[in-house]
Amino acid sequence: MVRKVSRNSIAVTVLAGIVLVLFVATVAGLLYYRKMIKDLNEVQEEVYEEYTRLYAYIAEDPDSKLSKKIYKAFCEYARDNGCYVEMTGQNLSTNYSKADRINIAISSKVDGIILEGDNSEETRELIDKAWNNGIPVVTVLSDNKDSKRISFVGLNDYSVGAEYGKALAELRARDNKQPLTALILLDAEERNYDDMIHTAIIQEASGRYINLSSEKVNTSTPFASEEDVMNKLDALTSMPDVIICLNDRTTESVIQYIVDKNLVGKTTILGYSDTETILKAINKGSVYATVAIEANVLARQCVDALNEYNNNNAEYVSDYFVADYVLINHGNLDSYDPEGSNEGG
Amino acid sequence: MRVDKFFSNIKISRKLVAVFLATSVIAMCVNLFIYINLNQALDKINSVFSSNISLNELSDNLNKTHQGLTGYLETKGTDDLELYFASYQNVKQMMKLLNSNVTDNNVKLAERDIGKMLDTYLKTADEAVQAKRGRNIDEYTAKYNECTRIKDYLNTYIYSVNNEQFRTNSENYMALVNSLRYTEIMSMLIFAVASVMNVLLIIILTSTITRPLTRLSAKAEEIISAGSPENIEPLEVRSGDEVGKVTMAFNEMLASIKDYIARIRTQLITQSEMKEKNLLMETHLKDAQLKYLQSQINPHFLFNTLNAGAQLAMMEGADRTVEYIRNMADFFRYNVKKSSETVKLSEEIELVDSYMYILNVRFAGEMLFEKDIDESLLNVMVPSMIIQPLVENSIKYGIKDLEPGEGKVTLSVYREDGYACIRVSDNGIGTDEEIIEKIMNHEKKPSETRGVGITNVMSRLDLYYNNKEVFEMKSRKNEGTHVTIKIPLEDTNV
Repeated sequence: MVRKVSRNSIAVTVLAGIVLVLFVATVAGLLYYRKMIKDLNEVQEEVYEEYTRLYAYIAEDPDSKLSKKIYKAFCEYARDNGCYVEMTGQNLSTNYSKADRINIAISSKVDGIILEGDNSEETRELIDKAWNNGIPVVTVLSDNKDSKRISFVGLNDYSVGAEYGKALAELRARDNKQPLTALILLDAEERNYDDMIHTAIIQEASGRYINLSSEKVNTSTPFASEEDVMNKLDALTSMPDVIICLNDRTTESVIQYIVDKNLVGKTTILGYSDTETILKAINKGSVYATVAIEANVLARQCVDALNEYNNNNAEYVSDYFVADYVLINHGNLDSYDPEGSNEGG
Repeated sequence: MRVDKFFSNIKISRKLVAVFLATSVIAMCVNLFIYINLNQALDKINSVFSSNISLNELSDNLNKTHQGLTGYLETKGTDDLELYFASYQNVKQMMKLLNSNVTDNNVKLAERDIGKMLDTYLKTADEAVQAKRGRNIDEYTAKYNECTRIKDYLNTYIYSVNNEQFRTNSENYMALVNSLRYTEIMSMLIFAVASVMNVLLIIILTSTITRPLTRLSAKAEEIISAGSPENIEPLEVRSGDEVGKVTMAFNEMLASIKDYIARIRTQLITQSEMKEKNLLMETHLKDAQLKYLQSQINPHFLFNTLNAGAQLAMMEGADRTVEYIRNMADFFRYNVKKSSETVKLSEEIELVDSYMYILNVRFAGEMLFEKDIDESLLNVMVPSMIIQPLVENSIKYGIKDLEPGEGKVTLSVYREDGYACIRVSDNGIGTDEEIIEKIMNHEKKPSETRGVGITNVMSRLDLYYNNKEVFEMKSRKNEGTHVTIKIPLEDTNV
């Protein structure tokens, strides 16, 4: 009897133990489940930061790698300074023209516009419209001198042209038996800075047995540019020794053309911008040198100009900032950081 | 342990209620948990696409505003103006829901842009309406074109944000559906675990209720198999509920039964002792009564009187009278003399002789008396006054009513199987079986005439010989009665 009772109580104790374990397991499971569900919800919650000012960046070609690089630099610098730069017209179902994008920026009442300008009348009007709506405009890379933009931040086109000219002279010096033929691929649209570069190159190359020629490439749409480069080069009777490209897309198109036509070693390129493709091409020898903008400096200058304007009004903002560039060739390729952490130049 | 004690002291009905409450509460909690989780999940799913819905509404209202504006500018129609203002107000209301801060989140930033563009649109539209009222065609045309452009931008933005949100919302939706699946699995798991817990709880709780009952019934079985509760230990009381009380009552009952049995045992012993004592008392009383009766007759006076009578008779020459009176004197002398317990058998026989002589004188010699005596047994010691009452009985109830000279009493003394047998027989009318039986069973009361002497003799013999069956009585109708006393020879002091 005594044994029976004790066995019974052992059974009850074991059962009670199982119940306790189950209870603890259930509670633990619930807590885990709660946490899991919470984590799931947290994933859904979008984390974002708020800024005091919004600037619009309107590039000539928002999809070009240069524009993206510059935009990235804008974002990084602006964020550190309490404002945000929006690439107006991006992530939309429609690709708007530059004029539309300026209009959008004006309508959405941004605190400032960073615009890759041009000499057109329409752009001038839009810049003035923005100004009239109290929105300061900073032109970048390319200016619209007659407009009411507060500043221009850009390369000294003449010195860039001079750099190309020097590079041509170097190439000429390597092989001085016959004149060096060079082709400059200009932007088909009337743009001020191309002309300046062109002029500078001509000046630098004159008297050095360099035969310079130029072609205008249609860069109005991304696809047109590549096709036009092909057509123009195919139409040539003889391939030039050097092809000078004045934008990144043209540079990449020409690199591809030279590789496809097996012209590496025969024709070299003086490129523009520092995309991965171009840097690789320098390494392989198809590009002799490329001019790359110091995007970080450019971003700092633009954002600072707008902030300065917004903080202190127009009078204290400089009209012209010279942006820095760097010439990348085989010699300094290894030390060059495309992310632009080096701010010199 | 304290909880266990507390629980064991609760009433069974409350325990049962506790069991059902506990299991019900568990089940309810599980249901509540599942319900809340499902509800939350459903609410979230509902809220997921609400942003898309509100953006679509915004777009609709914007288009209506523009439609109203267009209509008004074209025809200056009141309906159009009403539509314009109504939609205008709606748009204004909805604008408040949009994010207005600058953020690095694309959707939020687009919301901000939409808000600002709407603001510009509404302002421009207002200006267009004002210009219309001022009939400034150029201005309202320019403003209207501006409005149309902004509206197009807005629609593109709304469409794009909608798409973006739909993508995010779809991701959220998928995450929610996943979480719903987790909820489902979790709910099922918890339901299963809770069911197992319920079953275990019921087993535990009911066992605490039934265990004392089982112990009690086991104890009862133990008592049944033992046949007597005397050596059974009481059951330990572990709970304060009804079963505990029943157990206590059971223990008390067990104790009182044991007590009762012990008391009955003592009582029985006392009773038998009392009975023995009573018998002795009775005997002594009888003795006392006898002695009292004997003492009533002054023996010396009687003897002197009888002796005087005998001398008188002798002087008158009446020999038979002398003989008669002498026998009488002998008879009474025996009574006086033999006040002691035991006498020789010969003395008992002499007494019978005297008695018979007296009777024969009384009844003119009609009683026949025969003796057949084994002389060797004459010295056997027997209780006094055992033969004369038997002879007296035989005469009184046996042969008294017979014709004179026919009645006969025979006294035989003989040896048989170590016994000295004394038999008194008569040839009288006999004794009924019923009466014999009553006599033998000591049921005859002294008040009942027949057998008074015999009963007395039997009682004394029983006492003297420790209830050994020394007395025997046989009779047949009209064939007389035979009474035999068997004196064990080893018990007699010869």
